[in-house]
Amino acid sequence: MQKKLTLVFFFTLFLCTTFLPIVWMFGNSVYEEGRFSFVYYKDIFLTLKYGKVISNSLILASITTIVSCLIGVPAGFFLAKTNLPLKNIFKICFFIPLIIPSYIIGIAWVNLLGKTGFLNNVFSQYTMLSPESISDFIYSTYGSSFILSINLFPVVMLVTEYALKSINPRLEESGLVVGSVFQVFRQITFPLIAPAILSSMMIVFVLSLSEFGVPSLLQVNVLTTQIFTQFSAFYNEKAATAIAFPLIVITFVLIMLEKIYMRGKSFEISGRSSSNSTIQYNITWLNVVGITFCTFVMIVCIIIPLSTLIFNTKTLSAYHDAILLARNGITNSILFGSIGATFLTFIGFFLGYLSENIRSRLKSSAAIFIWLFFAVPATVIGVGLIKLCNRPEGIFQFIYGSLWIVIIGYVARFLPLSSRIMANYLKQIPQSMEEAGTVTGASWFRILGKILFPLQGYGLIATWLISFMFCIGELGTTVLVYPPGSETLPITLFTIMANSPTDIVSALSIIIIVMTLLPVGVFLVVSKYLVLKPKLGFQ
Amino acid sequence: MNYPYQIEIPECKFIMNALEVKQLIKNFNRREVVRSISFCAEKGQLLALLGPSGCGKTTTLRMIAGLETADDGEIWIEGALASCGRKVVISQKQRHIGMVFQDLALWPHMTVYENIEFGLKANDLIRAERRKKIETVLNKINMQNYAREYPTRLSGGQQQLIAIARAIVTEPRLLLMDEPLSNIDVKLREDIRQEIRRIQQETQITTVYVTHDQDDAFLLADKIAVINNGILEQIGIPEEIYSSPTSLFVANFVGEANIMQVKIIGKDKVLTPWGELVCNTKGREGKNAYLFFRPHQAVIDDSGHCYGTIINRDFVAGGYKYRVSTSGIEFKLQDQTRHDIGKFIKFSIRKMDILFF
Repeated sequence: MQKKLTLVFFFTLFLCTTFLPIVWMFGNSVYEEGRFSFVYYKDIFLTLKYGKVISNSLILASITTIVSCLIGVPAGFFLAKTNLPLKNIFKICFFIPLIIPSYIIGIAWVNLLGKTGFLNNVFSQYTMLSPESISDFIYSTYGSSFILSINLFPVVMLVTEYALKSINPRLEESGLVVGSVFQVFRQITFPLIAPAILSSMMIVFVLSLSEFGVPSLLQVNVLTTQIFTQFSAFYNEKAATAIAFPLIVITFVLIMLEKIYMRGKSFEISGRSSSNSTIQYNITWLNVVGITFCTFVMIVCIIIPLSTLIFNTKTLSAYHDAILLARNGITNSILFGSIGATFLTFIGFFLGYLSENIRSRLKSSAAIFIWLFFAVPATVIGVGLIKLCNRPEGIFQFIYGSLWIVIIGYVARFLPLSSRIMANYLKQIPQSMEEAGTVTGASWFRILGKILFPLQGYGLIATWLISFMFCIGELGTTVLVYPPGSETLPITLFTIMANSPTDIVSALSIIIIVMTLLPVGVFLVVSKYLVLKPKLGFQ
Repeated sequence: MNYPYQIEIPECKFIMNALEVKQLIKNFNRREVVRSISFCAEKGQLLALLGPSGCGKTTTLRMIAGLETADDGEIWIEGALASCGRKVVISQKQRHIGMVFQDLALWPHMTVYENIEFGLKANDLIRAERRKKIETVLNKINMQNYAREYPTRLSGGQQQLIAIARAIVTEPRLLLMDEPLSNIDVKLREDIRQEIRRIQQETQITTVYVTHDQDDAFLLADKIAVINNGILEQIGIPEEIYSSPTSLFVANFVGEANIMQVKIIGKDKVLTPWGELVCNTKGREGKNAYLFFRPHQAVIDDSGHCYGTIINRDFVAGGYKYRVSTSGIEFKLQDQTRHDIGKFIKFSIRKMDILFF
């Protein structure tokens, strides 16, 4: 009974925070003047009014996916399959663009390729390109794709690396005894990891389709920015929601296509083994290609943008001014981020537990359900929360006027993610661990406190830190819902960007980077020195 | 008026058993995993549920433990109805059961002491009492010096004993063991098997032991229930299961056996590939008669009535196993003497049985 009540409580919480605002928004968008009306949907599907916006979104997502794949797959391959020198440094560095908010990489590249940017000057001097055309590139769909590719290629890289390391080495060895390395890679290794790469490409496509920060920064007219404009400029939240509809449809179609393609292919990556047993290619020229490729990626994706921001700040006083300017934002970000991450971790734990313990046939449906929510653009969630909470009644008024609206925004946005992470950690604990507690007659709270939480210590810490990282960088929902005086760091950055000197904007960007990288540092220390993993034996 | 407990179960000799399972049914995704299984275990007995993988034995055990809900049937524990159909009468907590899992499920973040203490704490025992019970149980398994160790630091065999100690420390009414020896090597297996037998006999806890290993079942159990494809094929003492199988499956599954269809041609006379043999036909006639004998029950000697050609020979510790063919029918023999492959031999069957399936 305790177990049922707890799970029902947390599921209701999920429904109220994530499900309700979104469903309410879509319900509201088909209800006009007391009756059902699809007028806004007609605008989208039957006229060409939004044709350009939809095609821009699709071009942005497609190019981002292709470029991320072109960088991520080789990077993952070199990290998993070769003996590159400085491999661990590359691994950590390639992780950075994923962690720091994408609009910060955007700010750095705008500084470089904008009309007065350093690289713009260099290119216009030594090539036939005019400064305007270079600047136009960065402020275009292609420029946005470039920035998002830098931001999202680590997803493909991590999945490729993990998939390559998860292949049962015996499968490759049995090929190596009769064939060449390249034949084995082409005919055995690559077909085995292809489904995993495809999944990662889908993740990148969906994430770039629902991205708001970069297109908004680079003034690219895509579905997400159009939603924001419809709401904030025209106060037409119904049209804003209707515009989000194609995003959901595209995501759903993609998930279904992936499901059809993946049918019967789940057996392929079997026998997860430690990295030591992964078959590695010790070919000198491959190592040379690998180190050249990885160095190039590191320079373009990490060193150039970060050093630009550092170089732009010029003096320490810029940091001082930035901190003074964004003092409120920093405190709010840390406070909101911590509370948001705590909620995300605990609700995510119970939701993950629920999704892992439902009947196997429902499991994949639950995964699709969660995915769909993750694809909902942050701006739609923001609008939904405003429409739901902006009422004169006591509790709604309290939520709407306080930090809780931001926290609920974080939960609504990232709960699908945190529950998936938790579910993956929960998967690693054998069910018998809980059952062994159950047969002793212990209550579920006792089992939770004494067995499940301690065994999940590592997973809980990881989920909290990842959630904190995402909350700190969140922009799309916060920009709509934050009450006066409760602005977070990304909001401060977006507000001051238009009329503040570059050095302060860059300094503030660096501060956000440090704040997002800090949890990762803590995470590494925790995993290395607290030695939670080896003690548990099976994680 | 018929009360559920008045249903007659043929194999139950006593009115109150420590465990009674009546017509238990369980489906998973419309697939029948357990099909109307009935059996009982007397107090202090060790009952082995023996069967191949996926036959439904673990599901049956989990239903007894209350970890799965049955679709139909009844479970009685010490005379009390624990579940009836889908209705759980005695909650899982109140069944007072100890269980040893296949993967042992020792909590890696707790010491041996804490692992054992968990169940006692759940039953609200005071600290002094808990300590006393833990010391007693650790003494019983000769592991008193390992109380402060973490399970991951112990050997496979030691972990096994700790899992048993954790299960019996609460003095459960029923001890359930789900293939606890499946993950350890052969040599250690024998030692742990003896330990399990000793502990069970000392504590006299009624035990249900699930296994696919015949050695485990025959060496440990007072009674064996052979399950196949969700159906109880046969239940009885080990000797009975071995020497008088009541179904073709049990005859084939338990030990090595030669089974061949024969024709009854008169009182105690059967027609076999070697001609007419005299054998007790139990006064029955019919087509479904099978000649049944174990390889060691035949002796190779020149005066034997049976014959065949050796087609294969394997050396096993202390003797040879032969595959012999007579008119295309193959059967197994065992002998101390080495014979060449291709040799024509004569043999006699010392003990044979006619089974009707």
